Amino acid sequence: MPKLFERRLAPADSPLAILARTFAALIAAMLVTAFLFRSYGANPWQAYFALFHEPFATLRGFGYTLVRASPLALVALGTVVSWRSGFAYLGFEGSFIVGAVVSSWLALSTAPRAAFGPMPFLLFLPLAILLGFFAGGIWAGMVGILRARWGGNEVLISLMSNYVAIFLLQYLVSGPMRAPGSNPETPLLPRATWLPFILPGTRAHAGILIALIAAALVWMLLQKMPLGYELIVTGFNPFAARYAGIDVRRRTILAAFFAGGLGALAGVVEVLGSQHRLMEGISGGVGFLGIVVALLARMNPIAIIPTALLYGGMSVGADAMQRRANIPSSVTLILESLAVLFLLAVDLLRYYRFRPSSLWRQPPETITHGVPE
Amino acid sequence: MSAGHLLSAAFLVTWLSASLRLAGPVLLAALGETFAEQSGVLNIGIEGTILLGALASFLGSYYTGSIWLSVLIAVIAGIAANVLLAWMYVTVRASQVVAGLVFNILALGVASAIYRKALENPAVPESIPMFQPLHFPLLSRIPWIGPVLFGQTILFYLTIALVLAAQFILFRTNFGLALRAAGENPAAADSAGVSVTRMRYAGTLISGGAAGMAGAYLVLAQIGLFRESVVSGQGFIALGIVIFGRWNPLKAALAAFVFGACDALQLSLQIFGPKVPPQLLLALPYIVTILAISGLFGGKAVQPAALLTPYEKD
Repeated sequence: MPKLFERRLAPADSPLAILARTFAALIAAMLVTAFLFRSYGANPWQAYFALFHEPFATLRGFGYTLVRASPLALVALGTVVSWRSGFAYLGFEGSFIVGAVVSSWLALSTAPRAAFGPMPFLLFLPLAILLGFFAGGIWAGMVGILRARWGGNEVLISLMSNYVAIFLLQYLVSGPMRAPGSNPETPLLPRATWLPFILPGTRAHAGILIALIAAALVWMLLQKMPLGYELIVTGFNPFAARYAGIDVRRRTILAAFFAGGLGALAGVVEVLGSQHRLMEGISGGVGFLGIVVALLARMNPIAIIPTALLYGGMSVGADAMQRRANIPSSVTLILESLAVLFLLAVDLLRYYRFRPSSLWRQPPETITHGVPE
Repeated sequence: MSAGHLLSAAFLVTWLSASLRLAGPVLLAALGETFAEQSGVLNIGIEGTILLGALASFLGSYYTGSIWLSVLIAVIAGIAANVLLAWMYVTVRASQVVAGLVFNILALGVASAIYRKALENPAVPESIPMFQPLHFPLLSRIPWIGPVLFGQTILFYLTIALVLAAQFILFRTNFGLALRAAGENPAAADSAGVSVTRMRYAGTLISGGAAGMAGAYLVLAQIGLFRESVVSGQGFIALGIVIFGRWNPLKAALAAFVFGACDALQLSLQIFGPKVPPQLLLALPYIVTILAISGLFGGKAVQPAALLTPYEKD
């Protein structure tokens, strides 16, 4: 009897198999979530329509999708660089905050009568990007140094560093950087420092272009440059890397630096493009959701862009769904995380061959062939 | 404020008793995590499990009206949630960091969706009855020591008992030996007849139950209500405490008290205190934990050798 799932000796890793498994995981997650919708008394079709219609089928909604996707993509790119180099950095909430803090400090310093005074946007933007990237890079690079020099556990240290950044932000917006007024937040950044809006009639800003450029650069780094090759070898097998003459410690610290820098860019983009001021809770979980995006994109810098659009769009649609179908928007967190958990789980299927034909076709007769009754 | 003021009896008593009180939940979670890590599983999912335990005990208290039943419900919820995690870690052999991290997001989504749903019922109260501090005859009256050591809730004393039990089980029983073998050298343990799979499931489920109970501790002995932010990194701190405590329950207890003392210092200084920005003090426990696990003070050598490595029988 041929089985529906037949054991295979070598794992199936063709692009088609990977794509099929990814879709299987997404569909499984959507099925489970559909049952959740039912338990809230909603029609799953209508709920999914509400979830996807606004972010992808309306211009205004798509603008918001781009706004949400840009920081997600940047964090995901940071995840790709560091994780593929064997450095499991989880401190993106922290680097996001660091980037947001330094860019809003710089923006506020360009206000009239402030430290620097007004400067042209074409000078301000590169300065903000560089400053944010370096500040975030140094923030994460310290974790890299602890791991490379003293063998500290980067997973836990980077998790803890998030909280240090959160309290630093709370201190800044309730003390030194606070605007006169009731809320703990900075004044509105000068209009001249805002990222330009790119789609008329929407809130979409140039942050998505920054994310696209970053994706192209990360792809080039990892695929086309010797440094990227050394990073990946370091991630695959640090002992082989050392044997091949790669300075593993320095590469680890560099990977941490890139990760923190890209995470900080997410904060820069969010502050200059969308919030236009610094406040508590500005990262809103993007530092973790971005890692999920990278995982779903299977650590491929190009695949990150559509994945970030999908997840950014879902977070826009979640609000619409809450309004229209009365389903709590946190249900999308369940959908988003289940997709990755299922994606991990379907990896079990790499070792099986799927034979739908066994359901309707009889097994071939092999032995009785030619034997008289 | 003078230095003498800082050392006043009132300050010290408030500070130390708050240290013990705040150490409780993280210590419980760290105890369970020690079992998981000794079996070779780094269970980052305890952060989310604590949240689920906190919600389960909150709703359990409302629906059953019994404070002890709600602790039990939280433990069961923690174990049940960690069946999924154990399956991911051990059977699927997924990356433990990834599975745990994503599970935490899932748990946040589940907890907040259930809590929103529960709030639609107007009978669900804002806050629930809590465990009250015990008062021992005579002992509680001892100056200084009395209010610190003998004025805690019953959950605290239960946690201390569990520390001793965990120490005994890990280092004095066959089960503990098998568990540690699975985390130290799974191939050798396997050939000696130990089921690595079963040990790692056991370690993960124990950490799940303990994390669930830690959530109940937070809600039923410290806060008295549920919010999506009640846990705010305590699970991650528990992970740090396991390392700081060198994978040993007794030392983990000491580490938890150090952490509790930092956390409580912030509270006490706000009451008694000089003008220090509170956020600086709030960040202190995290900075201390970072330093403790930074590797600057050694510790790599005692880590279970097969931690984070999925085991595949060949």
